[in-house]
Amino acid sequence: MRRRQITDSRRRTVLKAGTAAVGAMAFPALLRANEKPKELIVRAWGGAWGEALKAGVADPFTAATGIEVRLDFTEDNEIKPKIWAAVDQGRVPPIHVNWDTSTNATISALRGVTVDLSDLSNLEGLLPLSQPVGLEGYPLVNTYAYVYVCAYRPEAFPDGPPESWKVMIDPKYKGRIALYDDGIGFNPIAVIAGGGTFEDIPDNMEPGYEFYRQLKANEPLLGEDADFTTWFQNGEIDVACTISVNARAAQQNGIDVRWTVPEEGCKVDTDGLWIPQGLPANEEYWAKEFINFALSREAQEKWCSMLGLPPVYPGIAPPEDLVGDPSYPTEPADFARLVSVPSPVLVENQPIWFAKFSEIFQG
Amino acid sequence: MDRLRLKWLLLDKLEALADRLWPDRWRGATGWLFIAPALLLVGLLLIGLGYMLEYSLHELDLSTYRLRDEYSLGNYAFLIEKPVYLRILLRTLLAAVLVTAITLVLAFPYAYVMVRTPSSVLRKFLLVALFLPFFIGQVVRAYGWLIILGKQGLINGVLVKLGFPTMDLIYNYGAVVFGLVQYMLPFAVLLIVPAITAIGEDIELAAESLGADWLKAFRYVVLPMARPGLVGAGIVVFTLTLTDFAMPEILGGGTTDFIASAIYDSFFQLSNAGLGAALSIVLVTIGSVLVALVFRVTGAGTLSIRDERS
Amino acid sequence: MNLLPPKRWVLWSLVTFSLVTLSLPTIIIIGASFTTGEIIEFPPDGFSFRWYQRLWELDEFTDAFVRTFIVSAICTAIAVPVGTLAALASVRYRLRFQRTIQVYLLLPFTIPLVVSGIALMIFFGEIRILGNLWPVGLALCLINLPFMIWSVSSTVNALDPELGNAAANCGAPPIQAFFAVTLPAVMPGVITGALLMFILAFNEFLVSLFLTDARTVTLPVKIYNSIRSVITPDLAAVSVVYILVALLAVWLLDRLVGLDIFLKSR
Repeated sequence: MRRRQITDSRRRTVLKAGTAAVGAMAFPALLRANEKPKELIVRAWGGAWGEALKAGVADPFTAATGIEVRLDFTEDNEIKPKIWAAVDQGRVPPIHVNWDTSTNATISALRGVTVDLSDLSNLEGLLPLSQPVGLEGYPLVNTYAYVYVCAYRPEAFPDGPPESWKVMIDPKYKGRIALYDDGIGFNPIAVIAGGGTFEDIPDNMEPGYEFYRQLKANEPLLGEDADFTTWFQNGEIDVACTISVNARAAQQNGIDVRWTVPEEGCKVDTDGLWIPQGLPANEEYWAKEFINFALSREAQEKWCSMLGLPPVYPGIAPPEDLVGDPSYPTEPADFARLVSVPSPVLVENQPIWFAKFSEIFQG
Repeated sequence: MDRLRLKWLLLDKLEALADRLWPDRWRGATGWLFIAPALLLVGLLLIGLGYMLEYSLHELDLSTYRLRDEYSLGNYAFLIEKPVYLRILLRTLLAAVLVTAITLVLAFPYAYVMVRTPSSVLRKFLLVALFLPFFIGQVVRAYGWLIILGKQGLINGVLVKLGFPTMDLIYNYGAVVFGLVQYMLPFAVLLIVPAITAIGEDIELAAESLGADWLKAFRYVVLPMARPGLVGAGIVVFTLTLTDFAMPEILGGGTTDFIASAIYDSFFQLSNAGLGAALSIVLVTIGSVLVALVFRVTGAGTLSIRDERS
Repeated sequence: MNLLPPKRWVLWSLVTFSLVTLSLPTIIIIGASFTTGEIIEFPPDGFSFRWYQRLWELDEFTDAFVRTFIVSAICTAIAVPVGTLAALASVRYRLRFQRTIQVYLLLPFTIPLVVSGIALMIFFGEIRILGNLWPVGLALCLINLPFMIWSVSSTVNALDPELGNAAANCGAPPIQAFFAVTLPAVMPGVITGALLMFILAFNEFLVSLFLTDARTVTLPVKIYNSIRSVITPDLAAVSVVYILVALLAVWLLDRLVGLDIFLKSR
């Protein structure tokens, strides 16, 4: 089945290349513009994330086009200044494609360093989720949604999963709770858990800050993806707010961890792909082809099912272990339980929220 | 014989060339010639500081995420207004003092034993043991500490077997200080060793033969003579701790950020180069001022052993 | 009057404490690298070389390793002349503004590495030398320069200034005096410094992070990036490989130079 699908895309590529070749005989410049680069460099997160991209998108792309794909595991935050400096100084950027959070990608788009992706052929028919919010056209493309779930150690919860996020301020779990170290994924939830409502975001975050103060008294550990895995592995924590992918990967590696969506809800967000400006014309062309490929049905299906996340390509069934899982929203009813804050609001308010978060937790 | 003549010829030519490039009358300025490459190399950082200074004087425009064109002291005002920055600064300074003190206390005996022991094998063993952990890298080493100090770690395992409650040995301020001491120990030892080698063993023997017990000999003879080495090690450990980024993040559990973490966050989390640059300028100024003060007080004006008196 | 604990007892208890705390994580990591399991644990779950095998199979690993070597070699090669001359200058010659120069030369330590990294990235980018390995070597030399200067200074100081005069009295012209008298005398400091610079460059990841890209990445940066997502035993295996390299380097140096000479009492 797969081979035919690969042949399909190869045929499509051959057709495209053929058209290009014909055009090239008349326009030599066009021929050069489609010359295949030796490799494409794609920034990716490591671990389960990178493996999913490799198996679902990169390897099939290489098989279809012959272009090697090299994954760069530089952290998303750390590659930002490198790309920006390159674009500002008129140099070739260090990567061809950036697999980034939509929030980060929006920031780069606001800065004007992204390449327009509106002409990608596979954009047609994708869920509206794929279109960036608050920006014109497609400086980036969203590729899937993910949820910041409440991951927990079943041993510590013999009576069943925690029903409310208030478990984070329960003294019973003092010193055994964990959050992302910049409040990401939890800022809006804190407001609701602290007694406020969704309408309070972003103008009245006070209920959230109050919740944070109580949380601080409960001695949380703050860290990033790798830390949560380490902490669950070594029994340092019982509850954490983390992305479902990490919890699922830990589970698949034999660590006893499960997840749930408590009554206040969980933050849902998207990740996307974008291309920095300043690449040579042919490399930019093939980078766009890469993204286009990632939006195709085969790639979306394989990539997102390995991650366990709902793709933007419509009509793909969830992997077996995630059918009916609240962290895999498919119906509008599922999305109603989740909290979604538009990227522009996040981009504008993240610095303010982070400053307050630091103030409370570093104090 | 021919080889020797060739060597002399070559050297003579070199001498003639040197004389042409750097004639006798400039001989007094040879010092400047020697130090010029280092000055130039560090000059690259000075250029970098220039960039930072420039960035720090512009605030971030959240609609384009670029620094505004107008000059303003807004970033510095922000640092002064928010109490969290002062708290982080004090936390970092305290750690730098603690780490320096503890490291010197541990490094001195280590250096002393390494130098004074008659056994060559022991000396090499001590040297290797000192540096080996360095090659593991901070993060993986910290993982090793987690296995030892964690809630389900080796030490707590023993405690539980003996009937004691578990202790919080990691992911707090103490763990960070401990981790930093571990990291700085090799450097401190290496910087103290030359000072001790310069103190002949006979001087200590002389002091002891005059009736001083070993503690007095240490206090009145060895330590003062090793002082420039101690000051050098102290300054290095102090400045490195002040600017350390990895250890507080890894062993601190996320709630004991040091200034370097705050700088990292400004540049990368907030994409606010202006604020990050302002913090950096503040840190460099504080660090340099403190170092200058130490130089003035201890008189170790040169990065060296003998102080200016001799 | 002999109420003091004996000297050996006090010194050795402190040294043992240091030794234990230094070596414990090393032993654990070495042990954990041989596990058959998926995670780093101690005692390890079984014994196998599979993580080492995995490393060997990754040719990105060997590429990055080689690049790290090159970068460290460049760093040391620059550090030796620059640092030695600077140390000689600051100790032997009367320079004006001595204190200011000392504070200036400590800038690599008073500026946090993150800032140095970003600043150098911007500057090197501006003058278009990014993408090569030699600027990385240069930068690593720069940020660790005080170590080299300090190392040589300490031996210069212990050097008897009269030796230089003696050489001149024997009629030796300056360059010969330098190579025949000064340099051999400060050799111990130069070698300690060079060893230190090499080791530091071999493990550096913060500044290198900014000055390399996916094509020129060095091993410490690769490891640092892998660690951000998940920590697996192959990282322990890499650490052990590093340790072996270190041991080899130290052994070699000992055979060539005899580390003993400058470490023991005079």
